[in-house]
Amino acid sequence: MPRLELGDWINSGVNWLRDNLSWLFDFISSVVQGMYDGVNSVLSAPEPLLLAGILAVLAWWLRGLLPAVLAFAGFALIDSIELWGEAMNTLALVLVAGAITIVFAVPLGIWASRNRGVSASIRPVLDFMQTMPAFVYLIPGIFFFGLGVVPGVVATVIFSMPPGVRMTELGIRQVDAELVEAADAFGTHPRRTLLRVQLPLALPTIMAGINQVIMLALSMVVIAGMVGAEGLGSTVFQAISSVDVAMGFEGGIAVVILAMYLDRMTSALNQRVSPLARRALAKERAKALSGSRVLHWRPATSVAMVGVVVLALVAGGMKMFADNDTGPTVSANVGKGQSVNLGYINWDEGVASTFLWKELLEERGFKPKVQSYDVGALWTGMAAGNIDMQTDAWLPATHATYWAKYKDKLENLGSWYDKTSLEVAVPSYVKGVKSLDDLKSKSSTFKDKIIGIEPGAGEMKLMQDKVMPGYGLNKDYQLVKGSTAAMLSQLERSYAKKEPIAVTLWSPHWAYNKYKLTKLKDPKGAFGKGDHIDTIARKGFSKKNPQVAKWMKNFKLSEKQLTSLEAAIQDAGKGKEQQGVRAWLKDNPGIASKLAPVPGGADQKGKDAGAAPKIGYFPWDEDIATTYLWKNILEKRGYKPSIKQYDVGSMFTGMSTGQVDVEFDGWLPVAQKQYWDRYKKNLVDVGSWYDKTSLEIAVPSYVKDVKSLADLKGKSDLFKGKIIGIEPGTGEMKILKSKVLKAYGLDKEYKVSDGSSPAMLAQLERSYAKKEPVAVVLWTPHWAYSKYKLTKLADPQKAFGASNQLHTLANKSFPKKFPEFNGWLKKWHMTEKELASLEQAVQDAGKGNEEEGVQKWIDANPGIVDKMAPVNP
Amino acid sequence: MSKLRAEGLYKVFGRRPDEAVADLEGGADREKLRAEGTTAAVIDASFAVEAGQTFVVMGLSGSGKSTLLRMLNGLLEPTAGRVLFDDDDLTALSPRDLRQVRSHKISMVFQHFALFPHRTVLENAGYGLEVQGIPAEERVKRATEALEMVGLAGWEKSWPDELSGGMQQRVGLARALATDADVLLMDESFSALDPLIRRDMQDQLVQLQKRLKKTIVFITHDLNEAMRLGDRIAVMRDGQIVQIGTAEDILVTPANDYVASFTQDVDRSRVLTAGAIMSDPEEVLGTTADDGTTLRTEQDLLAAAPATVGTDTPIVELFTPCSRSGTAVAVTDGDGVLVGVIARSRLLAALGDGDTGGDGATPPSPGGGDAPESAKKVITGA
Repeated sequence: MPRLELGDWINSGVNWLRDNLSWLFDFISSVVQGMYDGVNSVLSAPEPLLLAGILAVLAWWLRGLLPAVLAFAGFALIDSIELWGEAMNTLALVLVAGAITIVFAVPLGIWASRNRGVSASIRPVLDFMQTMPAFVYLIPGIFFFGLGVVPGVVATVIFSMPPGVRMTELGIRQVDAELVEAADAFGTHPRRTLLRVQLPLALPTIMAGINQVIMLALSMVVIAGMVGAEGLGSTVFQAISSVDVAMGFEGGIAVVILAMYLDRMTSALNQRVSPLARRALAKERAKALSGSRVLHWRPATSVAMVGVVVLALVAGGMKMFADNDTGPTVSANVGKGQSVNLGYINWDEGVASTFLWKELLEERGFKPKVQSYDVGALWTGMAAGNIDMQTDAWLPATHATYWAKYKDKLENLGSWYDKTSLEVAVPSYVKGVKSLDDLKSKSSTFKDKIIGIEPGAGEMKLMQDKVMPGYGLNKDYQLVKGSTAAMLSQLERSYAKKEPIAVTLWSPHWAYNKYKLTKLKDPKGAFGKGDHIDTIARKGFSKKNPQVAKWMKNFKLSEKQLTSLEAAIQDAGKGKEQQGVRAWLKDNPGIASKLAPVPGGADQKGKDAGAAPKIGYFPWDEDIATTYLWKNILEKRGYKPSIKQYDVGSMFTGMSTGQVDVEFDGWLPVAQKQYWDRYKKNLVDVGSWYDKTSLEIAVPSYVKDVKSLADLKGKSDLFKGKIIGIEPGTGEMKILKSKVLKAYGLDKEYKVSDGSSPAMLAQLERSYAKKEPVAVVLWTPHWAYSKYKLTKLADPQKAFGASNQLHTLANKSFPKKFPEFNGWLKKWHMTEKELASLEQAVQDAGKGNEEEGVQKWIDANPGIVDKMAPVNP
Repeated sequence: MSKLRAEGLYKVFGRRPDEAVADLEGGADREKLRAEGTTAAVIDASFAVEAGQTFVVMGLSGSGKSTLLRMLNGLLEPTAGRVLFDDDDLTALSPRDLRQVRSHKISMVFQHFALFPHRTVLENAGYGLEVQGIPAEERVKRATEALEMVGLAGWEKSWPDELSGGMQQRVGLARALATDADVLLMDESFSALDPLIRRDMQDQLVQLQKRLKKTIVFITHDLNEAMRLGDRIAVMRDGQIVQIGTAEDILVTPANDYVASFTQDVDRSRVLTAGAIMSDPEEVLGTTADDGTTLRTEQDLLAAAPATVGTDTPIVELFTPCSRSGTAVAVTDGDGVLVGVIARSRLLAALGDGDTGGDGATPPSPGGGDAPESAKKVITGA
């Protein structure tokens, strides 16, 4: 039989796809990621118990009082075992995967039900999807979609699709043919027959399919956890890889609670959406005895909706004023919010070094993200560029295969630890076995077995190729292939029973702390020299992050340091690694600045360094820019400012109650007068920092002869009779429509188009690029003036009215609480040019990168920090 | 102008249907085609239905009558031949126009009612109107009227599965009537009902038809039903129409043994009319009446006859007079002119074996073919 190189073909096919269709995968990736982030942020936003309440109301609506109480209890339990965040991640993943699956499965099922050919041809595909082990496409999935949620969702969608398709097809085929014929006989359009006859009657079956889809999706989350999808899967995966029964059980329980909730809710949903089931339900309820009515009573749809909305509003409101003080202590903002993705294998030294660097990087102003992975996934993810670096590469032996395979795509930042060794270990209660030589005659003691780990690991290769032949063990012993987790649980089991066992192990390993083990001596040196532990980064990382790369290259830990760090993390407990790291840093003063020295020395601290003012801001350009500017400067001065976005109403309310300390964007005396008047007894006006504000109509300067509003008259042909407006409710639009146009006699000639600020700016950009005349509603300060050459049309009749100044407003207690900051703000003043260039810098950096934009602007304006926040030594 | 006309309709299922039609036109046998894997369900069916008429297609299961019906509204496309509706060729219409015809001109009542279980009785009755795009208010009004017409007022809010079979079929009937279609296709519509309820429904249909004057094509396997309802009856066998005529034609002059065997168990006394069995008055002139008078003239005859009936009187009404008197019953036309007489012996002979005229039709031979045997079973079993 000739060998068909099927695997090779697939491999080259996968490579081809990766190289040629990456745009498609990137697109899918960003869509799925976006959906997940959206759902996840909604689910994670409210207080856990409030969301549990919302979910309980849903259960009440769908199933009744008792299930609602149970649902609430279940979710409360999840919250109490501190897995709420993970559970919501998982719920978001399941919902997104479920939604995507349904969107594909139901139409596919409908298609299959109407066409025998389609039905026959998708059947083998569905079989493939359902039975192909997920691991097989999970790892290539990383190539296409990167690590994280997306490959998890994709794998979940693939796995859970078949029942959705099959049940939809079955449901539609089961609809009585005579009914379809009847619809046909009355001249119904086939599409309408589908929507009004076949689908409603098939709905119970389809809903059963959807229920299956959701349940299968949930069963995939653990597997998704292995490729870095956050959530309960990750928790459970972590637990199995460190044989942590307690944590595994808690994670498992949370999965079960979610599963039961989703199962009961989706199956009950059928009673609400399917007309037939709704009738059956009504009948059943009519029969229910009066005594048990309370238990069976369910809120009507409208009542349930109101309940959910009220709880959601409460949740939203509480979130809005929740203190945002959980951020890390940033001592020197070197990172400017740059993100660094750290991956780690769930080995003690990996956890310890990774969380150490997470803390250090946060202190230096980076935004590190850590995620644990399976070894293979970690290396694949690094090669694909999804992970920036990892600190736990055992080279040259243990991870040799991975390094050899991916080294072209990686860079080695040097080793930080070199006291490792590979070995075979036995419990110390096994007497008379001290060296590998001693094993030879004792094969019956160990039942001819040495328990190994993953077959791909370097240590296993060494065992097979060198160690076992070297000590003549390969006849008497079988090297059991499995996984690290399986090896460790076998060790745990045998140790508990005091049975002899020989395992392949390595140092450092926590097993040596937990059990009394004998490392067998290797007099022949068959294991070779021990590995050193290296920091590996993806290619190009040191160019992008030279500072981090420099720190990593100089990173070294002694055995004592590493073990004490591991111990500190162990003491802090699972899930609190970072607290452990902080405790360790406290015990080792000075080590942080030794490991991650701040280039050029730290900035001078302010007098009130450590104070944490809460700054509120509006989503308006000048406020975003100045707020981030002050945040940067305050951080340089050792403050710990927190910033948060509000709308006008909640800002003033928040400030008056002290939930917000200060804001910089008070438009007075006109625009925000009503708010000021209402709350001023609890507020204080720190001062105005900008007085050049104005409202106006602007035209590009290439439009000649239009310098004043009066010049617009008679030129409506030029501007196509349109003035591009902004949000119709804004004060400027109102003044423009009610006063300005009339004052200059423009109201017959021009129409002000309602829209939005972004739309107005996009229109401006477009016309500007084409050198077309355009008149837009604008205001000063605005970055558009620094980006484009625009003429502010003069307003000789003062129709736009008196202009505002920008004031810094604060809670009454602010001057007392933050005297130094208050002093800076009092003297703060910005010119139109400064503000416009700052806004421009922020705009250029893009959304989410405001801090970088601000830093660039500061760099371009040397001395500005000392000018704005002078510190007297 | 006929309301609905079928011209040389063929329906062949299987491969290469057109060739099969050519074969059939050339005289090929249906059994031979079956051996080749093609089924000729309807072979060369032609008939015309006049406006306001009830046309019954009768045949055993597998005779092709349902297939024929479904070609009339285009649910099945004929392999060959044409269907003319008001002289428009339905077979030439686009799918869209065909749907238009179905929703406005032709409605249908099904054997197993085919009510939508997820709609109330009212919503079911208004279904056709919904398809037509009638606004909800008028839809409710017309559907309610249709339900009243079939005697289901007050049941609007109920659900189909809460009704008995007969009531469900009334909803089916109301659904078909609500659209105001001229033509009503009824596919074994009463076959699934109990005998008693079936009679009720037949009576109701007759009553409705007197008022509404719809053009109805009714499919049945029950000859009694066919005779009760049909103005004209087509008998189908093995895909072919073997005879078309009035109930009396079928009964009195069956086209062949097959048809005759069907008519065996029919209650002749209700189908046959005085006009069909009467004999020439001359036959009794000169005979002596029970009271001893000699009947010399037609006046004598009219005076002596125990009863005088019209030509369309079912003969069931003649038994009582004939039992009282040996003198023949007189039959008169609309103007009261004597057109015939029926003597006791003649009446009994008419019931006896179908040999009504004393000559012509022969009694069906027992076991003279497989179809009549099964025909008897079906008829007596129905």
